[in-house]
Amino acid sequence: MRIAITGLGTFLGQRLVQRLQSRQDPPTVVGLDRKRPLRLAGDLCFHDIDLTDPVADARLAEILCAERVETLVHLAFRRFPSRAVEYDHDLETLGSLHVMSACAAAKVQRLVVQSTTMAYGARPDNPNFLVESHPLRGHPAAHNVQNRVEVEEILRDWSPRHPELELSVLRHCWVMGPSYFDRTVEFFEAQRIPTVLGCDPLLQFVHEEDLLDVFERAAVESHPGVFNVVGRGVAPLSTLLAQAGKRALPIPRALLYRGAWLAAQSASGDPPEGFFDYLRYLWVADGERGWAEFGEPLYTTGEAWSAFVGSRRMRRYR
Amino acid sequence: MSDPTDNVVPFPLRGGRQDRELRGALRDLRSEIDRRFEVATSHESKPTFDWFQLFDELRHRLGTAGVAERSSEVDEFGLDVLTLVRSRVLLEFLVDRYWRVDFEGEAALPAEGPVLFVANHSGLFPWDGLVFAQCLQRVRPLWQRTRFLVEDWLVTLPFAQPLLARFGGVRACRENTDRLLRRGRSVLAFPEGEKGAAKDFRQRYQLQRFGRGGAVRAALECKVPLVPVGIVGAEETHPILFKSRLAGRAAGFPFLPVTPTFPLLGPLGLLPLPAKWSIEIGEPLDLDGSDDSAARDELYISRMNEQLRVRVRDLVARGLERRSSAWS
Repeated sequence: MRIAITGLGTFLGQRLVQRLQSRQDPPTVVGLDRKRPLRLAGDLCFHDIDLTDPVADARLAEILCAERVETLVHLAFRRFPSRAVEYDHDLETLGSLHVMSACAAAKVQRLVVQSTTMAYGARPDNPNFLVESHPLRGHPAAHNVQNRVEVEEILRDWSPRHPELELSVLRHCWVMGPSYFDRTVEFFEAQRIPTVLGCDPLLQFVHEEDLLDVFERAAVESHPGVFNVVGRGVAPLSTLLAQAGKRALPIPRALLYRGAWLAAQSASGDPPEGFFDYLRYLWVADGERGWAEFGEPLYTTGEAWSAFVGSRRMRRYR
Repeated sequence: MSDPTDNVVPFPLRGGRQDRELRGALRDLRSEIDRRFEVATSHESKPTFDWFQLFDELRHRLGTAGVAERSSEVDEFGLDVLTLVRSRVLLEFLVDRYWRVDFEGEAALPAEGPVLFVANHSGLFPWDGLVFAQCLQRVRPLWQRTRFLVEDWLVTLPFAQPLLARFGGVRACRENTDRLLRRGRSVLAFPEGEKGAAKDFRQRYQLQRFGRGGAVRAALECKVPLVPVGIVGAEETHPILFKSRLAGRAAGFPFLPVTPTFPLLGPLGLLPLPAKWSIEIGEPLDLDGSDDSAARDELYISRMNEQLRVRVRDLVARGLERRSSAWS
């Protein structure tokens, strides 16, 4: 079995390689990224490829053919939205297009794509639980989420035209755990968390190990379809913060959203709605299908959160 | 899925007299203990006031503020059992003393849940849903708590949404209703929606249009009994004299209601008035839900929807006839 991973340098890519190589029957892993990660685990063939390159699809198809890749796990997405909106679009949307056409050209049998439940969008008219068939509405002020929506729309049209290639789309919610790090985690690392005054949405998390379990199984076994990858249970934001001993800093919505100081602080080029609406409205996904397909997650939402909180607490004493 | 609310012991039935007796006995016991050990305590030196201890205590209290009052687990729709337990006294006061609710027709109730209740809506805030859930808990203590459906405008209202969710309010949409019913939880639906809750006082107890038959369809698809409910009295809790759309729009709400007390008395004016309530449960509607084709037959659904509306209207009319005044 030969598995290629795009976005090798991401947290998920690095850990997934470790997971795959520690299996009973370790598959051959082909790592793909823009530049060689500093630490490379074990025997791994690495190819540098820039997905923003206009001819990336031809080069990628060459590599996939040469390595006789059977499965491709596409993880080349950004965990930190940057100010370079165009670059993000090139990487995430056009990069995914390159990956798709290369997969079709190289006769790859299985494509696993990472997506996020944020793509459903945080809207006041969401039902309490979003199932996989719910339309992806995204958020106009979060360009990375919009990219994911775009990718999923393209995939939905593209997949029926390539029936020989089985496609798994894994939409995961916010990830928490001892070592995972992204923009959301960074936000929750602070001791004082700005929240929207009067809003206390139910949140759900998935533990990094559960997420890796799902990606590992999707890479090795056949699980075609779209799945929400979430932990069991939900918890209100206020309860989570109280459990972690963090102080909520409730700010009226108008002040929070229009405050220029926050826009100046926010690392992405997006207006603050793109993030804070996700702390304002419900966007909890229904994980029943995913649990039935990939098995019961080990950690609930609360446990994933406490794993995150506990690890950060220990880090302070180091 | 094991749900925190699934195996919660239901609140004991209201036993006013028993409670009082128990409390009296406990008070006697305490005074007895105090009397016996009076000598022992008087020997000790008077405890000096320790500022450091107070500081530590305060810091500890502050650090845990909000944790002790909150249960760490809510159910999947955000209902917090601890909130319900803690506010039981308030809810019982509202039901028994403030609104003096007459709860009738429980004989018509099916013995087993879940049930889809359909009621007339009134009174700006979903007090009717909360009170109904509380009353139903008494007659069917073993059922899971009934959830009431809440209109969209309340969901976007700051502070209202988290509070409602804690008490068992759920946003009104088909996905939520189906999920609740399939999980064995009874649901109280208000098909009139916002048109019912926010109608002027002139139009009180006039049933508005019953949506597009979503309740009937949900009952057919989930194969649960559809029970009409008439709620009388909630209309007088917030008599809306008129609505100002312009002022409301400026504040970010769909409209600004003007009641005899609001905005005259400020936020205090939003307290509900003490009208006399009566809630009557009707006979379940006969739905031939044995075959799935009924759920797709639009004509059948609209006919059933109309029948349901008539049943609720009759229940409301009966309740209005029976009462002599809105306040007694």
